[in-house]
Amino acid sequence: MAANFWASSHYKHLLDQEEVDMVNPLDKEKGVTLEDFKLIKMHMSNYILKLAQQVKVRQRVVATAVTYMRRVYTRKSMTEYDPRLVAPACLYLASKAEESTVQARLLVFYIKKLYADDKYRYEIKDILEMEMKILEALNYYLVVFHPYRSLSGLLQDAGLNDLSMTQLTWGLVNDTYKMDLMLVHPPHQIALACIYIASVLREKDTTVWYEELRVDMNVIKNISMEILDFYENNRMFTDERINAALQKL
Amino acid sequence: MEKIGVVLSAKEAFEKLEKVGEGTYGKVYRAREKATGKIVALKKTRLHEDDEGVPPTTLREVSILRMLSRDPHVVRLLDVKQGQNKEGKTVLYLVFEYMDTDLKKFIRTFRQTGQNIPPPVIKGLMYQLCKGVAFCHGHGILHRDLKPHNLLMDRKTMMLKIADLGLARAFTVPLKKYTHEILTLWYRAPEVLLGATHYSMAVDIWSVACIFAELVTKQALFPGDSELQQLLHIFRLLGTPNEDMWPGVSKLMNWHEYPQWSPQSLSKAVPTLEEAGLDLLAQMLQYEPAKRISAKKAMEHPYFDDLDKTNL
Repeated sequence: MAANFWASSHYKHLLDQEEVDMVNPLDKEKGVTLEDFKLIKMHMSNYILKLAQQVKVRQRVVATAVTYMRRVYTRKSMTEYDPRLVAPACLYLASKAEESTVQARLLVFYIKKLYADDKYRYEIKDILEMEMKILEALNYYLVVFHPYRSLSGLLQDAGLNDLSMTQLTWGLVNDTYKMDLMLVHPPHQIALACIYIASVLREKDTTVWYEELRVDMNVIKNISMEILDFYENNRMFTDERINAALQKL
Repeated sequence: MEKIGVVLSAKEAFEKLEKVGEGTYGKVYRAREKATGKIVALKKTRLHEDDEGVPPTTLREVSILRMLSRDPHVVRLLDVKQGQNKEGKTVLYLVFEYMDTDLKKFIRTFRQTGQNIPPPVIKGLMYQLCKGVAFCHGHGILHRDLKPHNLLMDRKTMMLKIADLGLARAFTVPLKKYTHEILTLWYRAPEVLLGATHYSMAVDIWSVACIFAELVTKQALFPGDSELQQLLHIFRLLGTPNEDMWPGVSKLMNWHEYPQWSPQSLSKAVPTLEEAGLDLLAQMLQYEPAKRISAKKAMEHPYFDDLDKTNL
């Protein structure tokens, strides 16, 4: 769903980085570190994406589902809300909120196909129960805004809406869902950061355009740095580390 | 709305007083909140029996009401509670402020006694309706199902509130295809009837216009009983549209050749409405959706000049 961002609960719900990076005390007791916390969330974002590709829903549904999942973990522990159930339940809920409902039994079918591991195995009943718990955790605030809409408008405005720039920036925006950026920054700033990175990579001069936008370039550059850091560290996010983190729960 | 559901179940928190309605997705009760004695409306939502959890329309209604925070002319969602019915199945209760009547019943009482609704009352109600719709539109929400039944009222204060946002949705620009099987026929805009795939805020304004006329005459303006009949009712009053009146009309999916009528004067259909009111009505009944007046502009129309807006 998309509507007027500035009048929305999404805008009012943006958090500080410190709030997002708070590991729940219950998880901390089990030895979950901030690194583990981030890794698990990243892994679950990938899980949502994989599942979404199987059931064939739009990127927007994926983005909403990942946002729900990340919001849940600013309020609830992974100990009580098993990420391996929360991830598919968020996709289920997002598919309804974005008006492209996916049947729960279809999700269950593909979960089994994707993961042989028993710990991922959940039934329809579990997903429906978790849906209710997620609704409560989100306090029924379901309208989420994404950078995609700003992105196409901004690219056009900058005269950069050729295929190569569109694909590159779109991919960058997709990757931002592997991070918590959307909990902290409004979507248009994330879009601007992705355009910034892409224009540097493709050697397009956008200095004047950014100046005319009158945005705080420090903010945009900081977001860009975060994204680049993420790519830089990506190599170290191995399956072993992810599994070790999940083992602690 | 700080805490939801977790502390008290719906059954513990509320005493059901009477059933006041039944919608597609469940029953509505008048109930008393035990802790405060406050009277509320409980909208009970059955969850699907086919294992699909919370119905999407309910999710949409809740999330939209969550977003339309606190406009006085949109019904206020006080709380959402999860509960269990007798069979142990999960039910969802939407807790709304209680309103004692709706516009459909209100119009009916006047029709039954043969009285007219006093013009200042109509003006007050119309202003509130425009204000509520303007608020929804300002937040990017189309209602898509405005009709007298969905407009709640308080008889004493004459306060009007928009309810039943189950079909409402947030829209993006450019507006994409929406399902068009949505509105009650009588209040349905011609572009929806003709199968337009892109529609907008203007569909709500058309409904507002139909409600406006109905307040004056106490009869539905276009009481069609099929989509074709509905269109013919409209064409008979406003004239059969053509490319001059409405560019692009003949390209709409459901367009056919229709009997040719020329436009009638609106004062024929709504004879007791004052001049300024007729002008506003005409602007709301523009065929071309983009030319239809917006809710916000309607609020500034001279028709409302002599209305005391201090308490609205």
